[in-house]
Amino acid sequence: MKMTGRKLIDIFIRNSIKMLSLLLAVSFLSFLLVSLSPIDPVGQYILGLQTAVSPEQRAEIEEYWGVNEPPVERYFHWLTEVLQGELGESVIYRRPVAEIIGERFINSLALMLCAWLISGIFGFILGIVMGRYYDRWPDKILKKICYILSSMPTFWIGLLLLLIFGVWLKWFPIGFSSPIGVLSRDVSLGEKIYHLILPAFTLSLMSFSGIALHTREKLWDVMNSDYVLFARTRGEDEWTILKRHGIRNVILPALTLQFSSFAELFGGSVIAENVFSYPGLGSAVSAAGLQSDLSLLLGITLFSALFVCTGNMIANLLYRIVDPGIREVKE
Amino acid sequence: MKTNKILRLLLLFIMGIYLVACKQEEQAVQEKDSVVIAIGTEPETLDPTQGWGHGNSPIVQSTLVRYNSDLTFENDLATSYELSTDGLTWTFHLREDAKFTDGKRVTASDVVFTLETAKKAQGAVDLTYMESAVAKDDSTVIITLSQPTSIFLNTLASVGIVPKHAYSEEYGRNPIGSGPYKFVEWKSQEQIMFTANEDYYEGEPAIKNVTVVFMSEDAALAAVLAGEVDVAYSSATLGNTKAEGYRVERIASADNRGFTLPMLPEEGKTTESGAPIGNNVTCHREIRQAIAYAIDRQLIADTVLNGFGRPAYSENDGMPWNNPEVKIETDLEYAKKLLLDGGWLDSDQDGIVEKDGITAEFKCVYPAGDSVRQAIGMAVSEQLKKIGIKLTIEGMSWDEIMKVMFSEAVLMGWGSAIPNETYYLYRSEGALLDDFYNPEGYQNLKTDKYLRAAMEALTVEEANENWKKVQWDNNTGTSMKGECPWVWVVNLDHVTYVRDGLSIGEQPIHGHGHGLPLIQNLKDWKWQ
Repeated sequence: MKMTGRKLIDIFIRNSIKMLSLLLAVSFLSFLLVSLSPIDPVGQYILGLQTAVSPEQRAEIEEYWGVNEPPVERYFHWLTEVLQGELGESVIYRRPVAEIIGERFINSLALMLCAWLISGIFGFILGIVMGRYYDRWPDKILKKICYILSSMPTFWIGLLLLLIFGVWLKWFPIGFSSPIGVLSRDVSLGEKIYHLILPAFTLSLMSFSGIALHTREKLWDVMNSDYVLFARTRGEDEWTILKRHGIRNVILPALTLQFSSFAELFGGSVIAENVFSYPGLGSAVSAAGLQSDLSLLLGITLFSALFVCTGNMIANLLYRIVDPGIREVKE
Repeated sequence: MKTNKILRLLLLFIMGIYLVACKQEEQAVQEKDSVVIAIGTEPETLDPTQGWGHGNSPIVQSTLVRYNSDLTFENDLATSYELSTDGLTWTFHLREDAKFTDGKRVTASDVVFTLETAKKAQGAVDLTYMESAVAKDDSTVIITLSQPTSIFLNTLASVGIVPKHAYSEEYGRNPIGSGPYKFVEWKSQEQIMFTANEDYYEGEPAIKNVTVVFMSEDAALAAVLAGEVDVAYSSATLGNTKAEGYRVERIASADNRGFTLPMLPEEGKTTESGAPIGNNVTCHREIRQAIAYAIDRQLIADTVLNGFGRPAYSENDGMPWNNPEVKIETDLEYAKKLLLDGGWLDSDQDGIVEKDGITAEFKCVYPAGDSVRQAIGMAVSEQLKKIGIKLTIEGMSWDEIMKVMFSEAVLMGWGSAIPNETYYLYRSEGALLDDFYNPEGYQNLKTDKYLRAAMEALTVEEANENWKKVQWDNNTGTSMKGECPWVWVVNLDHVTYVRDGLSIGEQPIHGHGHGLPLIQNLKDWKWQ
């Protein structure tokens, strides 16, 4: 056990080094892309002012922003600032980027976590049901639903849910993370959850059918294996077989799949948050992109890379804890 | 059994949440002194020295003078003002009963502080011509300018006075002022809440609680259909949707769409940043004017904008400084005659006219993603076929547009509540700069003379007289009758959903903007 603990720390350190170098590469690449893009931050800023700006004023803004320095110099300037925890100031919100990310991340994390849990749990359960009744009517119906869901774009499902549950039935609010016209300190947890349900459900539908279909196939393989045949001949009933052999064997692949969906989840949150006017990182990144807010865009890119890497690292560490097989083979 | 229990608990939980939410909704219906307004863009700051309230009223703060609904000036914080005969020294007398919401009086030193801060900020407020501002006593401010400036009152009507004693870096996110409303809370990308200022010197406004939420136009329409907001900014494409319990108000605007036509011939020259200059088709005045006369503006307003628009003839239709003479009638025969007189003939029978081996075709670019501009461009292109001019429409990003705008037509939009926009659009020094104002390269000494006279005029009347002459002086001008550097097509109505029973007052003509102009007269709104 002691051995395993040291191993875990070892793996943790090795992963951290990998992660740092990856982040450095991401920072370089994203900065390069932004520099090469035709985005003119000063022009966008002036456009945003929606007012007359004299050329003299424009020159002063350019000077102040340092846009005329060479790109390499700008990169190292930016990188040293970032390493000191200074991500710069957002042009569109006129606030420090770190502050915006911190505030938005809590909203996004709640959303992604809910969606992740919903899609994981329901996807897995439905996958088991489909695998159990392989090619019989419950499977046939559920399989069709899964196919339909996985071929529908997330934003469309989102709009559909919004129309049905928000506009027609009026069961859920049509957007935001809290009720309109209520002070932050007066917003209860219940209200926050109430606002979270529809976007989280939309987001979960994105990765949900993948898990379900994957689990279905895996379970079918397991149920047709020799050891299950042996268990059957021994007279174990189907439910016991499912519990003892089925679920145990399919849970690990499902976990792998679920943990590797972090990046996808992040991508999906951009869409879900925009459809439901939900103030998270996803809607912030699309606003930053559309309005050429470079410091915010770069800040969120770095942060999301960090987030996805951390997710994958947790998955790596978890395998060793969940599956004694992997642990022992490595040792 | 166990699963049943869990299920029951879950159901109870969901119902609990639902009940709480429903209760809140009922309360909102009972008290009719609050409004929820959905607009498109979130302001960046609530600090007037950084640009908040520019072109509109700042709500939280009050200004020295303000606009009437017909865009003339009336006193706000000022009780009277005088201008010296040389046009350089303004003296403002302040009212004595105006207080910031922290109870302190608004004094001359606050005005001085505001103007100096705004000048230093280099932001949206252009005060480069202000030499000094001095507080003579608590209620007298003397402002000295380096040159007579007729738009000074317009600028003052935009700059809300901030408290010197309570101003810091954070002011823009948590302002206090002396306006009709008090700032309560700002949730980024969600909402800003205001409440009525009970000590406002003109009396507490009728609407007590105001929540401004930020939504895209689609989301705002969904919110209207779900009954979650009282007022929603919408667009011409969505305005035909019927929503029960709401009416659609079309607010006239000078939020115009039109296109620039490069006026210089292509001679291989480039701008400082390397973009090509000139177009061999649009450099001919008869081509530009033929286009202007061939367009059926009413038809475009009716079809492309679903009737939520009006024909546009200049950058400032309907404003007090607009010359009504700029209006032209659609006249296909006249357009054809212009081309014929200019020597443009369709000799090869392909439907497009030529002259000296140059075919009358050119590109018109628009910001990709702006469906209204795209549709306007397509409609214009279709109409121009009738006179033998071929227009190709192409979507680009703003950054790409900046590289082609000196040699191709560009579909743009302007419209401001301050007349100096005209100055930036047409002055000779502004030609061919990277700032979108004058990419067509319009340079005219006569126009420059009128522009300077308008900017330096001592009275609003004198200024307006000269602004009008810029457009048309019975001989030439920037209008489509004159040199025609721009072909204006339509003014967009600002389509707004309003809940039945709510009056949003008499709205002045709106400038360019996504909903913020709507709330400038918030103090006049009421439930009936």
